[in-house]
Amino acid sequence: MEDLLKVSNLNTEFKSDYGSKPALNNISFNIKEGEVLALVGESGSGKTVTSLSIMGLLPNNASVENGEITLLSKKNKEINILNLSDEKHNEIRGNDISMVFQEPMTCLNPTMTVGEQILEVIIRHKKISKINAKKEMIGLLELVEIPDPIQRSIEYPHQLSGGMRQRIMIAIALACSPKLIIADEPTSALDVTIQAQLLELLKKLKNSIVTKTSILFITHDLGIVKELADRVIVMYQGKIVEEGNVLDVFENPKHSYTNNLIQSLPEFKIEKRKQKKIIKKETNNKNIILSIKNLYKEFPVDKGIFKQSNESVKAVQNVSLNVRQNKILGLVGESGSGKSTLGKTIIKLIEPTSGKINFKNQDISNFNRQKMQNIRQKIQMIFQDPFASLNPRKNILDTLMEPILVHKLMKKNEATEYIKQIINDVGLPIESLIRFPHEFSGGQRQRIGIARALVLKPEFIIADEPVSALDVSIQAQVLNLLETIKETYNLTMIFISHDLSVIEYFCDEVAVMYLGHIVEMAPVNELFSNPKHSYTKALLSAVPKVKAKKTNKILIKGDIPSPINPPSGCVFRTRCPNPGIECKGGDIKMGLVEVEPNHWVDQCCAKLN
Amino acid sequence: MNFFLKKLLIVIPTLYIAWTVVFVTLNIIPGDPVNLMLGGRPASDEVRENVRKNLGLDKPVLERYGSFLVNATKGDLGKSYLTRQPVTKMIKENMMPTIELSIGGLIFGVFFGVLFGIFAGTKPNSIRDTISMIIALCGISLPSFWIGMMLIYIFGTTLGWVPIVGDGFVSLILPSISVGLFFAGGMARLTRSSLVDVLNQDYIRTARSKGISKYNIILKHSLRNAMIPPVTLLGIQFGLLITGAVITEEVFARPGLGQLLLQAILAKDIPLVQALVVYMTAVYIFLNLIVDFTYGIIDPRIRLERKN
Repeated sequence: MEDLLKVSNLNTEFKSDYGSKPALNNISFNIKEGEVLALVGESGSGKTVTSLSIMGLLPNNASVENGEITLLSKKNKEINILNLSDEKHNEIRGNDISMVFQEPMTCLNPTMTVGEQILEVIIRHKKISKINAKKEMIGLLELVEIPDPIQRSIEYPHQLSGGMRQRIMIAIALACSPKLIIADEPTSALDVTIQAQLLELLKKLKNSIVTKTSILFITHDLGIVKELADRVIVMYQGKIVEEGNVLDVFENPKHSYTNNLIQSLPEFKIEKRKQKKIIKKETNNKNIILSIKNLYKEFPVDKGIFKQSNESVKAVQNVSLNVRQNKILGLVGESGSGKSTLGKTIIKLIEPTSGKINFKNQDISNFNRQKMQNIRQKIQMIFQDPFASLNPRKNILDTLMEPILVHKLMKKNEATEYIKQIINDVGLPIESLIRFPHEFSGGQRQRIGIARALVLKPEFIIADEPVSALDVSIQAQVLNLLETIKETYNLTMIFISHDLSVIEYFCDEVAVMYLGHIVEMAPVNELFSNPKHSYTKALLSAVPKVKAKKTNKILIKGDIPSPINPPSGCVFRTRCPNPGIECKGGDIKMGLVEVEPNHWVDQCCAKLN
Repeated sequence: MNFFLKKLLIVIPTLYIAWTVVFVTLNIIPGDPVNLMLGGRPASDEVRENVRKNLGLDKPVLERYGSFLVNATKGDLGKSYLTRQPVTKMIKENMMPTIELSIGGLIFGVFFGVLFGIFAGTKPNSIRDTISMIIALCGISLPSFWIGMMLIYIFGTTLGWVPIVGDGFVSLILPSISVGLFFAGGMARLTRSSLVDVLNQDYIRTARSKGISKYNIILKHSLRNAMIPPVTLLGIQFGLLITGAVITEEVFARPGLGQLLLQAILAKDIPLVQALVVYMTAVYIFLNLIVDFTYGIIDPRIRLERKN
């Protein structure tokens, strides 16, 4: 195979008023024709800068200092991309090299129909009539498996789901059958189920018409690399630290950084724990600290001043669960499944529509604001985005001090000592107290978020996707911290996450949510080794894993339905891979039944099994 | 359409509140319209009473308020205290010159505003950006009477290119520039900042990755997305113009609604002021509707939101 793209000694720098900062340090690699090359690394490692350097789309404050990028163009000519004028480069962009970006929500022009946006690139490069281009456009939409392509082509991006939009982006990238497609974290912003659909599509495309097309796949997810790529390059701080065949690199990584990266994956940590036989102590702690009974939350749909609306968003539907003392309950599900709403409803940041919430044998569901004040001290939340949830104009000491003073827990000088101890416990230096949120990295900010939750001496913590925004290695550190803190502070937790491997690593019990319902609930080992509900099975098989054996994936079709009009009967029946006849009719009511001790499954799937 | 129907329904209470506020203020502020009409000339109590009766000022305040509202619903906004002519007629006579001037200013302002905005916004922090924005700042901050006088001096008297007074299109040029410069300045600044923002969006990067030329990226991908803030400003500023540009009218000795309102207030000509307020409120609401409608044309997301 010939080399399609050769990058040699590439140096890219970011310039600012304070001088220049190298982003890429002597990068050299090449991509062969028809090859899928994965570029992995954590944020800031230079993956995206590499791709933008190739595309010539670097932001204004960045520039390629030296190096060479040669591309074998469609006409079989070797072109040094870096010497091209902007006009010449435009001939190549979208034609020889195309790109799929990370954020499907913002990557498409909101004022143009998706059809126009695909047409545009065809007409730009292929110089064919509009009618023919339109035919090609519809063909592309079919290729990326968009249902009802003619109708979809006249819709605007906001009318499509995230997965659909990413398919549109792929269609745009494929439009001129380019030699190279650069995919920059194309599935990172999507749910695992949708990610699995897209990866399946990419695999299919890779094996069919685009055999000659190479893919440069940028990702932080090693599981995806394993699934999709032939070769892998590991980047760290603007340098390539390892390069090789995917299997080789994963089996025996040569560089310590690669090794660390692999070892910090939750699936490896679980493995290690199993090897060491540190199976979590099954203390038969029957002491239930939080108990929820038949909890509902429905948001009325606003129809304006004159119309009273009968419709509502059914965010949480008939949820009952118990959390035992010192245990961690994991809540998992796709976005839109109602996990976060449930979390917020429990501490009544959102008022429940009906149902009971028992916290330490007190029914708090009818508590007013004043009474809740005392409860909120006991139940604290940790949020996903620590930067957005910290006041940028307050230093850390003030941020941590405020809740203590509001709840009149202790006097100011006493509190300062206490805060120092806590900041030490979350692994930050004391000096951090006089700093401001923007001076910290993502992982450190999440530590501050944890400290903020801890200062009130809570007994219960609801952590809403606390590690989702973090890199794998940082994620592992924060999870370790949470674990230690849970022990030292004697905490009980609800841990909300869409990431199944994190849940498996971290939680004692798991509840799987779908469209506001809990569809399955079991102790963690039981759920992951013996899933009963079709949705749980699909979720588990959708996660790309480094260690996975080649098994057939259970793909679920389409997107999660609108919670305003959920399907009747079993809400999952529209996407269920193997629905029974009774389920299809939508006559079966939802409700959990205990199939094995402590293993609860929705009765629709329980009957089938 | 439901959306616009709702908006139209709001017109009635808005007008009602506007009238009431004007009525109350004009009755509270000191000064007797009769005195003003007499212009300081001595008059006997009998004459004063007569004038008062003629104007309907002898009736109690509440009754005047009530009859004004009743008449207004019939389309009769009363007669001017000063000229004894129906106020609607007076407004009509002064409306045309104002509309002409407003449209002239609008065309000048939008054209140069958007042009300078694009010129500056496509290359932020460059020399051409700085120069464009200095010019825009001048347009906003230089007082329009000074600009008007300078225009007259340079182009009217010294160079003699355009007539300073008179009818017709040519005589409209200088006043249009005079009011349009302020307009253009605001438009340029807003178009620039909005365009800078849009050009940093992810979808522009997508368009560039497709190999779309710079020219098309600005024309097809950016401008439409960048137009919402400028259109909002357009509505507000056009509203200001169409309700009369007093100073420009004064400098160029043009008739217009600005002049009319000024005289009416000074003379405490309550019916005329009220009628003008009705007109201006209505114009503002109407322009707002147009702006809202334009939002829908520009951004399909807004269109969809309204449908639901």
